[in-house]
Formats: sequence, C-alpha cells, structure tokens
Amino acid sequence: MTRILKIACLNFFFYPFFIIFTMIAFTNLGSLILLLALFLPKRKILKLLRQAIRWYGAVVIRVLPFPLIRLDYKNYGLNDPPGPYLFVCNHRAASDPFFMAVFPYEIVQIVNIWPFRLPALGTIAKIAGYLSVREMPYAKFAAKTAKLIAQGVSLAAFPEGTRSRDKSVGQFHSAIFRTALETHAAIVPVCITGNEFAPPIGSGFLRPGLVKIHRLPALTWEKYGTFNAFKLKNYVRDMIAKEVSMMDKTE
Amino acid sequence: MTEQEVIKLINEVFIDSFEIEKSKLLPEANIFIDLGLDSLDVVDLVVALQKKFTVTIRDDERVRGIRTLGDLQQFILTIKKEIGK
Repeated sequence: MTRILKIACLNFFFYPFFIIFTMIAFTNLGSLILLLALFLPKRKILKLLRQAIRWYGAVVIRVLPFPLIRLDYKNYGLNDPPGPYLFVCNHRAASDPFFMAVFPYEIVQIVNIWPFRLPALGTIAKIAGYLSVREMPYAKFAAKTAKLIAQGVSLAAFPEGTRSRDKSVGQFHSAIFRTALETHAAIVPVCITGNEFAPPIGSGFLRPGLVKIHRLPALTWEKYGTFNAFKLKNYVRDMIAKEVSMMDKTE
Repeated sequence: MTEQEVIKLINEVFIDSFEIEKSKLLPEANIFIDLGLDSLDVVDLVVALQKKFTVTIRDDERVRGIRTLGDLQQFILTIKKEIGK
C-alpha cells in the first residue's frame, strides 16, 4: 500500500512540475539564447546552450523526483586525463539522456531517431547539435564527431541502440568506437542501473528507487590503440556488463 | 576449392579480423545477433573476405540477404563456383 502511495505521489508531483519547469526553462532559455545570438559567435552560443541543457537535466534528475527517486553517482575516473571524452553508456530507460547531466562537460549526445521527434526536447537537441546517428551516412557522422572532439566537446552514446528489456547489456554498434579510433579520444564507460523503473519500458509511470551511475576509469588511446573497432566495442561492452552485473547484485 | 576449405578460410577471417572464438563459429550463428557484428563491421568483413578469397562481393546484392554464417559460407561457395565457370 505504501509503495502504491509512493508511486502515486511521485507521478502526481513529478510530471506537472516537469512540464512546468520545462516550459519555463525553454521559454527563458530560448529567449536568452536568441538574444545572445545577436552578439556572440555560434560556437559560444552552442557551448552556452549545452551548459544550459546540463543544468536543466540536473534539475530533472536530482530535484524533481527527489526524494522518491534518488541518484547515487560514483566517479572512478578521478585520475583520467583531460577530455574531451567519449562517454559510452548502457541503456535501460528513456530517461538515460537526462542522466548525462552528472558529467560537468560540454556534451553532445548521439541519439536514435525518436528523441528528435519529442516536442520541445527534440527541437532543443537539434539546435544543440545532437547527432541522430541513423539519419546520416557514417562518413558524415565521422566528420561531425571528429570536428566536435577537435573543438573539445565530449560525446555521449548509448551504443546498444535500444533499451535493454532484461537488464542484460546488448550488442554494441561500433560507430562511436570508430570515432575513438579516428580521434584517439579517451573512452569513458558509464554504467547505469536502477533506471529501468524510471520509467519501465511500456509504461509512463515512474517507480521510486535508487538510480546508480558509475563512471569507470577512462580507456585511453595508449590502452586501446592497437584494437580494431570490433574488438574495442566488445572490450568496452564487457567492462560495462561486468560492472552493471555487480551493481545489480548490490541493489 | 572445397566446402571445407571455404569454411576454414571464412572462420579464419572471423578469428583474425574479429577475434571471435572458434567455438562460436557455427553455421546457424547469426552474424548480427550471435556474433555481434553491425552494419559497419560488415563492411570490414566484406573487405577481409574479398582479400581472403580474391573476389569482389562489395556490390553484390546477395550480400544483403546474408544473416547466418551458413548463409555466408553458401554465398562464398556460389561465388567461387560462378568464377570457376
């Protein structure tokens, strides 16, 4: 009974506040960005916009669902070299892109087709230069990602391409790993658990719980430079699967 | 080239280029689901196969229909036979 009450409370409060906050944030943010665009160069505007998305995401994941959904972020990459990074994450929930807000960097996310179709969020993602990997040929994707890395922008990808339905880590697509091999950028494996209830596949109802995010130490070019794309994607996949399995066991 | 020779050479490609364990290289293994290749990996696979068998298969429409290792083995056998004629 208590759990049902918690679910009801969580959803009753989260969604209205989420919609109101999104409308306020996007209206003000949109106006500010449009105003600044008159004076600042495009690169600076994009940097500001991506920073603003991070702040927005931080509120959505840390404030709006609190205390019924809590976040436990552990950074095991304290000795990582400076970025930009390629964040490679397992994927269980539609909310995963919001969790990228825990990383204090300018990030462009590599997404599937459907996030671009979301009202407001999809439009902002497009303006912020997020990449819809399935809507462009690989050569174009490679050129865009190489340019972003050269500008110091980190990338975040969910190389399973679709949400896992059974907590397993699916096969990885290799596009982001080809970017790594071409740019020599450090790969940061990111493991997310507990998010499978935020919300579950096929349901819009959030469930109370603890979402754990573990940032593993970066895999640098010195470590992966001799790998090919196939070996690299499976190597990173195994690292993530092993950590995720341990995280699930300590729920 | 016999069927066994073709299978052996294809297996070598998967082992050398993709470091896939020999035990996984079964005719019924799905190249995408069981062996974990994606569309970009398939481009690498085609290049490696062309080199191994000295054939050109990149633009062959039949490549698109290949799903399992058995399909691939039959495809290469067919190609080799066509070249032999």
